[in-house]
Amino acid sequence: MIVFEHVGKRYGGRFDALANLDFRVHRGEMVFLTGHSGAGKSSLLRLIMRLERPSRGRILVAGHDIGRLHASQVPFYRRQIGVVFQDHQLLFDRSIYHNVALPLEIRGMDPREASRRVRAALDKVGLLHRERALPIELSGGEQQRVGIARAVVNKPSLLLADEPTGNLDPQLSADIMALFEDFNRIGTTVMIASHDLALIARLRHRTLRLREGRLVADEEAA
Amino acid sequence: MSRRPAAPPRGARTQRTRSSSQLRAWLRHHRAMSADSARRLLRHPIASLLTMLAIAIALVLPAALWLALDSARLLDAELDASATLTAYLESAVDAGEAGRIDEAIAAQPGVAATRLITAAEGMAEFQQALGLDDALARLEDNPLPASIVITPDEPSPEAVRSLAGELEAMAGIDEVRLDLAWLERLRQLAELGQRVALALAVLFGLGVLLVVGNTIRLAVESRRQEIEVVMLIGATHAFVRRPFLYSGAWYGLGGGLLAWGLLALGNQWLAAPVRALAASYGANFSMPHLGLIGSATLLICSILLGWLGAWIAVSRHLSEVRPR
Repeated sequence: MIVFEHVGKRYGGRFDALANLDFRVHRGEMVFLTGHSGAGKSSLLRLIMRLERPSRGRILVAGHDIGRLHASQVPFYRRQIGVVFQDHQLLFDRSIYHNVALPLEIRGMDPREASRRVRAALDKVGLLHRERALPIELSGGEQQRVGIARAVVNKPSLLLADEPTGNLDPQLSADIMALFEDFNRIGTTVMIASHDLALIARLRHRTLRLREGRLVADEEAA
Repeated sequence: MSRRPAAPPRGARTQRTRSSSQLRAWLRHHRAMSADSARRLLRHPIASLLTMLAIAIALVLPAALWLALDSARLLDAELDASATLTAYLESAVDAGEAGRIDEAIAAQPGVAATRLITAAEGMAEFQQALGLDDALARLEDNPLPASIVITPDEPSPEAVRSLAGELEAMAGIDEVRLDLAWLERLRQLAELGQRVALALAVLFGLGVLLVVGNTIRLAVESRRQEIEVVMLIGATHAFVRRPFLYSGAWYGLGGGLLAWGLLALGNQWLAAPVRALAASYGANFSMPHLGLIGSATLLICSILLGWLGAWIAVSRHLSEVRPR
């Protein structure tokens, strides 16, 4: 699903955010990405989302060299990936329902079909009863679940998450991770960047450990 | 990542239904965005109205000048049709001979009509026009010669000039005057006016672009987070641009309608004094109207300017707004 071949990312001509990354994530896998802040987790996710291009090497996602995508193809590439952000990136001027419907609206999906999918996604994260609420009326954990509903409403084959439990207490974090595991169980490839080592250790999935932009460990699920 | 349909024979039909549903989706988004951007404008009615007013004022000036020139052109055509020559007879020519000369001129090719004005008639007209009864009455002799006013078949300057040459060669005619010089000057003035109007239209059109561009820039700035988010989840530039283009077009339409209203108002306001002035010159002159085509042109231009201003502003900012 994801192949990194000698990938490096250098900022400002001197600083190597990522250096010589080589790994492969198979379809249907669930992978954690760990390391201290500044180790390059976010940079790696940004490369996969094609927010940036690698300075060296190449990245294949679903068999396509995404460094070669033309700028006009990038939006269509991004529609195939679901992304959950640490700060949710919800739009505060519209309801939960419309936040989750946004990716479908961008794709131009028929409103009736879209409404069915939005409700299914909200139901999955347990927030169907709040569809008319505004994001500001929701707790942090609920907002994160809205972000997850938005990421999966498109039924992406790849789900990325950047510190999805960053500001949540242990119980809520465990709930969120359980949601990701559910999506992984139905075949979605999931990659989660997190520094919550205790939680990761409990969940027993493959873990890629970064330090100063290098891959220092690739531990299969114990 | 996307699974292709396994059965190739159905490919063509799938493609067709997909493109027609894409077209429907595209139209749906256009409808939604035009309504959404109109609602956003209405949410801040005063600010929107001020922007539209600025556009309207920028449009009114060149439009008014254009209207004025248009009416000058109408006047010009009327003058063209009334272009005449005046042949002044030698003072020795008596009334009988004047009548014969008049007939001879009327028989000339290229002459549509003639009118003989005897010396006495000329004097009477002169007195009436100037209102100098007393001063002229004191003159012992009538200093005016008899004259013949000739209306040519063809009012073009060349035809009139060659006719004048022929008439001047006739016996008994002292001088032929043609009133072309001032007509030509008027035409040159009109030409100058047209160029000024065009230059003004270009300048004020740029002004409209700046007004709309600046307004849209602020709108983009205030929706920056939204733009970043939709680009993160796969929105194309066209998708992001669309609501702003509609806002620009709405501003343009509002500005155009206001400009139209201002022109109509100005027309009303000036109509009475202009009519009085024209009447004092004995002319039948009515205020120029935009008319259907003029109104449509004004509105289309203003909408296009609004749209273009928005396009420039959004495109400039799309390159700056990169998802974090």
